[in-house]
Amino acid sequence: MKNLITLFFVSMFFMTSCKKNIDRLPLNNVAIENYYKNAAEVQIGLNGCYAGLRTTLLEEWQMTELRSDISLMGGPSSNSVPNREKSDLDLFIPGTSLASIYTYWSASYANIRNINTLLNTLAIDYDPTTSLLKKGTTEIVITSDDLKDLSAQAAFLRAYHYFNLVRLYGGVFLIHEPFSGSGALEAVNINRSSVDDVYKLIVADLQYAAENGVALNYSVLSNTTNNAKLGKVNSWTAKSLLAKVYLTMGRKTDAIPLLNDVISNSGYGLVTAGATPYADVFSISNEMNKEILFAVRYKAGGIGLGSPWPNTFAPELSGTSIVNGDGDGFNSGAYEFENQYSAADTRKAFTLGIWPTATTAITSSARRLYPKKHITPVTLLDDAENDWIVLRYADVLLMLAEAQGYSLASLNLINQTRARAGLGATPLTIINVPNDQRFADSLSRERKLEFAFENVRWFDLLRYNTTLPAQSENAVTRIRNHFAFMYTNHYGKYPNPRPTLLEIQAYVTTDKLLLPIPQREIDNNTHLVIAQNPGY
Amino acid sequence: MKQLRFLLLMLPLLLLAGLASAQKKEITGKVIDQATGLPLSGVSVILGKDKVGTTTKEDGTFAISVGPNIKNLTFSSVSYTTQTVPIGTKTSFIISLAASAATEAEVVVIGYGTQKRSNVSGAVSKYKNERIDETPVSRLDQALQGKIAGVNVQNISAEAGAEPKISIRGTNSINAGASPLVVVDGQITPDGLAFLNPADVESVEVLKDAASAAIYGSRGSSGVILVTTKKGVADKPKYNFKNAIGYKNPYKLYDMMTTKEYVNLLFDEMADKMTDSTVNQATNTVSSGDRAAYIIENQLRGEATNWQKQSIREGLFQNISLGVSGGSKNARYFISAGYQGDEGMMNKSEYQKINFRIKTDFDISKRVKLTINMNPSFANRVTPSQNFTNFWRMPGFLPVTHTEATAALSRTNPLNASIKAGDYSHLRHFSNINYTGLMPDGSMWTGANISPSGSAQQNPRSEVNRTDFKSDEYRLQSAVELNVNIMNGLNFKTLASGYVNYTRGLSFAERNANRDGDLNYGIFTNNSNIYLLSENTLNYTKTIRDHDITALFGVTTEKTNIVREQTTGLDFPSEDIRTLSSAAQIDKTRSIGTKNILGLNSFLGRLTYAYKSRYLFSSSLRRDGSSYFGPGNKWGSFPSVSLGWVASKEKFLSNVKFLNNLKFRGSYGATGNNRITENAWVDLLYGSNYPYGGSSGISNPGLITSSSILSNPNITWERTFQKNLGVDISMFNNKIGLTVDVYNSKTEKLLLQQTIMAFTGLQQYWNNLGSLRNKGIEIELNTKNIQRKNFKWTTSANLSHNRTTIIELGSEAYLLNQGERAEVYRNQVGRPLVEYLGFKTDGVWMSQTNIDAARAAGLTSTLPQVFTPGGLKLVDVNGDNKIDNNDRVVLGNPNPDFIWGLTNNVGYKGFELSFFVQASHGGKLVNGDPNYNESGRSIRTYNQNRWVSAGFPGDGKTPITRGTGFNWMLTDYVVEDASYLSVREVNLSYAVSSNLVKKIRLNGARVYLSAQNLYFRSASNYRSLNPEGRSKSGPYSSVLIDGYQRGSFPIPRTFLIGIDLNF
Repeated sequence: MKNLITLFFVSMFFMTSCKKNIDRLPLNNVAIENYYKNAAEVQIGLNGCYAGLRTTLLEEWQMTELRSDISLMGGPSSNSVPNREKSDLDLFIPGTSLASIYTYWSASYANIRNINTLLNTLAIDYDPTTSLLKKGTTEIVITSDDLKDLSAQAAFLRAYHYFNLVRLYGGVFLIHEPFSGSGALEAVNINRSSVDDVYKLIVADLQYAAENGVALNYSVLSNTTNNAKLGKVNSWTAKSLLAKVYLTMGRKTDAIPLLNDVISNSGYGLVTAGATPYADVFSISNEMNKEILFAVRYKAGGIGLGSPWPNTFAPELSGTSIVNGDGDGFNSGAYEFENQYSAADTRKAFTLGIWPTATTAITSSARRLYPKKHITPVTLLDDAENDWIVLRYADVLLMLAEAQGYSLASLNLINQTRARAGLGATPLTIINVPNDQRFADSLSRERKLEFAFENVRWFDLLRYNTTLPAQSENAVTRIRNHFAFMYTNHYGKYPNPRPTLLEIQAYVTTDKLLLPIPQREIDNNTHLVIAQNPGY
Repeated sequence: MKQLRFLLLMLPLLLLAGLASAQKKEITGKVIDQATGLPLSGVSVILGKDKVGTTTKEDGTFAISVGPNIKNLTFSSVSYTTQTVPIGTKTSFIISLAASAATEAEVVVIGYGTQKRSNVSGAVSKYKNERIDETPVSRLDQALQGKIAGVNVQNISAEAGAEPKISIRGTNSINAGASPLVVVDGQITPDGLAFLNPADVESVEVLKDAASAAIYGSRGSSGVILVTTKKGVADKPKYNFKNAIGYKNPYKLYDMMTTKEYVNLLFDEMADKMTDSTVNQATNTVSSGDRAAYIIENQLRGEATNWQKQSIREGLFQNISLGVSGGSKNARYFISAGYQGDEGMMNKSEYQKINFRIKTDFDISKRVKLTINMNPSFANRVTPSQNFTNFWRMPGFLPVTHTEATAALSRTNPLNASIKAGDYSHLRHFSNINYTGLMPDGSMWTGANISPSGSAQQNPRSEVNRTDFKSDEYRLQSAVELNVNIMNGLNFKTLASGYVNYTRGLSFAERNANRDGDLNYGIFTNNSNIYLLSENTLNYTKTIRDHDITALFGVTTEKTNIVREQTTGLDFPSEDIRTLSSAAQIDKTRSIGTKNILGLNSFLGRLTYAYKSRYLFSSSLRRDGSSYFGPGNKWGSFPSVSLGWVASKEKFLSNVKFLNNLKFRGSYGATGNNRITENAWVDLLYGSNYPYGGSSGISNPGLITSSSILSNPNITWERTFQKNLGVDISMFNNKIGLTVDVYNSKTEKLLLQQTIMAFTGLQQYWNNLGSLRNKGIEIELNTKNIQRKNFKWTTSANLSHNRTTIIELGSEAYLLNQGERAEVYRNQVGRPLVEYLGFKTDGVWMSQTNIDAARAAGLTSTLPQVFTPGGLKLVDVNGDNKIDNNDRVVLGNPNPDFIWGLTNNVGYKGFELSFFVQASHGGKLVNGDPNYNESGRSIRTYNQNRWVSAGFPGDGKTPITRGTGFNWMLTDYVVEDASYLSVREVNLSYAVSSNLVKKIRLNGARVYLSAQNLYFRSASNYRSLNPEGRSKSGPYSSVLIDGYQRGSFPIPRTFLIGIDLNF
């Protein structure tokens, strides 16, 4: 009896002292507050931020190529919602609730948050009053070299996201501090920033990255000692992107010295050797070659790092004839664009695949052009090797031409990429490009052919309105003409009652060059009125 | 009444008896259960008025000697109706006692103890049915559908062994789990209702109000289901054997169109349009794809494939159980074994389980009792890799396998050069081919490079046949319980219990199973859940004159260990070698492993007091500390109080003869909920690797905060406070029993994933925010309509109504959520929990003329495709002449207005018929099927009377095929009435007469026929197959996005024949 009562109280005591049972920490993951204590851990966090670039790329081609004049939504007859949404983007009738518009937005900001967290840890803050990044005192153990390198990379990644956001959505929300705890609720008091303010942050970030980033020459970078740094952002990467930002802002004179610096001092250059130099730029056995200033890296082998593009872009129902596991047929090439390659241009065969067969008549409704440059063999679905190239040296050359404007020097820059494409025998000269307008059109066309399906064309179209004022067609006209060209073979095949050509052309307005702010952001803010972009 | 009649009949005998000689005589007899025919032991045999003569033995027999002045014998036993019989001259009696209903002696399980039904003051429902295992379903929860007021069981999937959705008194939580807690013999077992063998179940009690559930504290807010399993009684061994077998088939399938019928329709429509001047004749044609499909079906095959039937089969259902129970005075046992085989109606859908249960009770000494309980079970599950939708979506022209003719056609495209007759055919095998053939209008047509379908969908039959998704589930629930009677009235109980659930699965797909060029792969899963419980309670019971007091105090500790592992192997050398080691490659993207350990420490106490069994009081308190929350926020308290008044025991009601019982109950209590994501209080980093370096690079480890939900270190318990008022009435000799409960609960500090601006980089934030209200009424009615010797009829009915309303969502006025097709679900303060928000439509736009007129009158819209002839015509609800998002209105909500169940039992001699009707009224659902282009081609309902042209506008309500005009999914066109009425179960049984049974040395024998869903009626505007079906994965796992249905599986109709032997 007594023993039992004792037993009871002993067991009770055991229970109450068993605080351990309910004081538990996560078993599989690291709690964030215990992390980022030294350079190695910051590097690991930064690796995660690089990986975050892949999430935005999943939608980026829809926001850019699909809306441009070089690409079409491959299956016009499909009514499945994800396909229909892509058609809506292609046709310039995107709803404000379109899933991909929101996904791109939230993925960008999710990575910006991770980047902000890192910069915060490194005590690098953006000061909106001076529009500069300033260094504070960090509590973590890190050498100043490491700090400079890591923060430069992080600042670049932040600028990369904002540069895409501001071009796609206009004045977005300018977030440069990580939110944590209940602070995230205060976000409802933040409204959109002006386009100018967003660019101030981008410029500040890129200037910081250019100054503090590793500035090794490519020949040094690619040697065995430094090889592991390939793929990380460096000073040259930052300078090239900053030049593009300046061009986009209409600050041509600010872009020129940066581009000249990269051309003269970086050691990066065009891949010109070999039998198929243009194809070699994209070859999976030649990744991070001297032309690649920045690429989002992918790696095959079932390790979760493979690229989905071959399966996303190969023609639908092509079975295994193009890539293992069939394709979705999205991002199909516009036929008008294949005519623009001259016969000698070696880029055409590498850029555009024709399906079902190379000889399928252009009038056949079965005919599809697919972006061949992204297609590499896969063993597993969505597990290809090829990197997504963001910035390459050819862009630096052509940007310089754009910045300098019509001159022989500029034409010779263009001639460099043309020569690589097998057009060395027919260079552009002052004779065959006699004026500003011809220059603008030639440059525009050269960039279109060189960077086709690299998510470059759409931003070029937007930018030319500022940088190539002499061009014969502005963005709106160009897209409308694209619809006219493609109507019979493509848009006219949408199921009945399909929009007429005039209706589709009317959808394209200057307002619609910007995407809408995702409806969710407007709906969920009950404190402030968030202005939607005009036209939506 | 019955007794009176009996007495009258016996009167002559009585007279004779009076004349008989007045000496003692020996009387023998046997007492049996009227319903089962089983012998009853321990029945008191009372001589005359009150002198206890003897009690029956284990075999139900008794022997007694009776003096001359004893005229009657009375037989009395707990939970049986007392029976008095005159002795007369008879010396041998067989007495059958009827079980009493709702008598004072009935005991209900209330959590950490039991209570006399008459003393219960909370809302506790008890469901007891000896024949629950004769219901043709494989799970206990499915068998409970419609049986208990306030418990809503919805069979959201009709696949074999699929889990239904259960809610008790509505939804009390938003982002924390909202399913009831299941406790089996004291052990919390999250999937207890799935694996229990219904034949082992003694009773199911449901603690519905917060006051009753508060003893389960932090986990009681969604109600508690207590399952008590059978145990042995001291008796010689009794055996029970049951065997039932039956089959299952679909109640209803879609009315499908063949490709030929569909293309004929298109040609008819084209012909119509030719006579319509508003149609641009240049575009009036049937697409070449449809023409090609027509040629394949009509010319090449001469028949169509009914793809629905490719999915469906007649499934076999089997239920076998064997039980033995008995024991001596000091050791009692119940042992059972059961097998249930449930073949789904869909190919490769199977659920089989084998259960064993051993429950033993030992009286170690007068004061010490030991109970050991072991319940191993094994289940085997096979799931089809394709859902039903993917079958009916297939066009009829596609053969399952190629014929010579279709293979030859396919081969004309060089890509298909290797296709031969007998291969599975895919839509792409008919793509980019030249077709020539006769059209329905008699014309010849030739097309080059034509694809009859642009769909990349695989032939589902090929996919299902090439994949094997199997899992084995091993479960063991076991407990040791030691009960010590410390002193009179004071008991100490210590329980150590463990529940282990281990699932091992292999999902194997052969080469090319999903897409051409796919490697074969095997996903190996190993999941284990271990729940350990240590429970120590002190129980004190004391009666002092008119005062009944009980007190309970306990401490419990629980530990849950959850491990999930998944490894995917790729490229096995042969389809027959399915071991991980033989895989050429491991796919890291599809390999995962997580581990979590959770702890819960609790103190609990309860005090009950009853005065003269007339005034009842009960109060409980539980304190729970959980590892789900961060430091400082772990502990929560959950008190409750309830009062009862048995008015029928008051003097002023004592002369109201018809009233047997009248009790008023009132309660108030708090319960909690901690079923949130583990570690929601702390932000975590997840692996996110990235390669650097030259050429293909080297992968480097990375970490990222990839969760889109921000943690909150301050989150703590959400609590539900519930008021309950109830009345129990029984009248006319307990022939009518009525229980009515009304309740009103408020859940506060909801564990809510609060939506935050996405530009923060996050989408939600864990917060204790907002509150919900649940209000409702439940009625249970039990009547004994006819109680004659050979003819009996009883009815039990229940009806419940619940309304969940949002009271507050922090600073938000409403939340908008989107489903998979961008359809909008709104959760607004002051409104029902979920409402569909969308556009009202007024038929379709009949013609361009109508549109032009409307636009000329000033109607505008920036929404896409609002003005399309034949498209849905949106209503400008706010009258501003502008159709925009402000015109969206509430289109309905998923919550039924009321649900009810009605069981009738009719017995005539050995026959017994029970039929059970169950229904749900007033809920709406969002039907995702119309969204599919294929629906319009395959299912007649969607293209009958549709708009064709201005001259042929159909019924003016059915729009032109999906894909043109405004998106259907955003309108009331897809909102349908989810009401239904079903004859859920019918059971007809015959008990072989006891004389006959005796001859074959049995104690009882019954045969029965049982059927499920003999009749099912859904609402007239419902267009799919099963109004109970709901999508619950993806966005629909949130309770805020509820009511969506896509590709509902057909309702199963089951027939079963069974035999039940006792010996």
